[in-house]
Amino acid sequence: MDSIVNPKDLEKKQIFLILVSAANMRQRNIDLIKEISAIEYHMVVITTNFPYSVLTKLYSDNGIDPKKVSFIDTVTRNSMGNTENIPRIVRYVNNPANLTDMGIAVTEALKENAGEKVCILYDSVSTMLIYHSSLNISKFIHFVTNKLRLMDISGVFLAAEKGLDPMFVSQLTTFVDQVIDSG
Amino acid sequence: MTGTSGVSSECIEEGIMENALVMIAVLDKKGTIFAWNHAAESITGYSKAEVIGNTSIWKSLYPDTEYRHSVTGKIAETLATKNYFENLETTIKTQSGDLRTILWNTKEIPWEGEPKVVAVGMDITRQKEMDAFSRSIIDNANVLMAVMARSRVLLWNKGAELITGYSSDEVVGNSSVWKRLYPDPEYRRTITRQITGIIAEQRYFENLETTIVTRGGERRIISWNTKQIEASGGYHEIAIGRDITAQRHAEEALLAYISEMAMRLKHPVEIIRDNIQEIADLINGGKLTKDEMVTMLEGQVRNASQIAANVQEFQKAIAEKNKEIPEAYRKFLEG
Repeated sequence: MDSIVNPKDLEKKQIFLILVSAANMRQRNIDLIKEISAIEYHMVVITTNFPYSVLTKLYSDNGIDPKKVSFIDTVTRNSMGNTENIPRIVRYVNNPANLTDMGIAVTEALKENAGEKVCILYDSVSTMLIYHSSLNISKFIHFVTNKLRLMDISGVFLAAEKGLDPMFVSQLTTFVDQVIDSG
Repeated sequence: MTGTSGVSSECIEEGIMENALVMIAVLDKKGTIFAWNHAAESITGYSKAEVIGNTSIWKSLYPDTEYRHSVTGKIAETLATKNYFENLETTIKTQSGDLRTILWNTKEIPWEGEPKVVAVGMDITRQKEMDAFSRSIIDNANVLMAVMARSRVLLWNKGAELITGYSSDEVVGNSSVWKRLYPDPEYRRTITRQITGIIAEQRYFENLETTIVTRGGERRIISWNTKQIEASGGYHEIAIGRDITAQRHAEEALLAYISEMAMRLKHPVEIIRDNIQEIADLINGGKLTKDEMVTMLEGQVRNASQIAANVQEFQKAIAEKNKEIPEAYRKFLEG
């Protein structure tokens, strides 16, 4: 199977917006982690839908080395209460509405993996629309992409391909290097 | 002289004078009244018996000394160069104390062998009131009103001054304002072509939207309606322009808001649907612990609650903006 992102572009620390059909969102997440971790990247996954424990199982089932993935989990703490962060594995954010804490968690996770080949995966821009206006999401993604560029790190933003306002998509495209429609 | 019908010309003249709907007075140069028709009696309230043979009527009609002097001064000034005056407008006070505006025209005539002046006064009080009323409506209308002969501006109301920033003094009498309002030659050509086309077809246009540039450099969207009216020797165009800039901006903002909310409602509902399906698949596959099931389902409940809150916020915003919602959007919102 062809890779979704070109490894050479990853080496150039490019940032990608990957548009996926809603039904394929989880599978594309797994495909990307598998593909990018296989070329010795450490993946930092920001999850807004599934808890990290479930994603870990899904990754393991798909032959992904769990050591190559750490998480910023915005789902679990909301249900399970005050769960403790596990260094290099998971950082919890109270809920997906808290962009400030999410921003801090991203900064800390990137520092934690400094010196490694790191790629961040944001799953997903679409879920964030439940909690934030497109304007606030744009600002947050601008903040994250700036941080990635300053730290010379590549990143992938997942979004459902249909249903996004064209103005919003065109705004997002200005923050990334490539938009890939992976179907 | 006696006519063929046996009626003397004096009788005819007297009949005409008496039945005229305008004031007619015959006077000498000192102002002594020799004739005072029925209309003069009706308008002023002073009878023939009171006015004929003396000059006292002028003091009665113009009781204010200063005003009377200004009127006699104007008359003297005119009569110094010619033996008549035209369209002299004065305000008289009637016997009952009302003020009436009279438009005077005079002519010198022979009267019983002597040169006399016949003064014809038309009561234009009602017309003046109507003119003032119309002027007031024109000036106070919150729309741009212009009257033009071809493109030369004849009238430019206060609304036009306010919207465009150009004063009536600058605009009236020439057609240069159109170049200033449409400084881009290409756009001006397009608009002119459009207007010429419409006028050639139906002589007026309705709700034609153009974007003008005001004196301050601001862009304003104007919706134009015009009508042609017959004027001496041709046609004049009355153009009424409504500034719809704020309305258009509100519509754009509302459209953007509706697009945003559609994206933030439909899209997330599909996400929840897909998530629940995935959770069901994972449960069926025996992949989830009880805690994980609870966490994932609660996550979807939170998502759904947030969507419900978003819908409520949307409804509230629509209710608040209700009056500004254009008809097309209202129909859309009403389903």
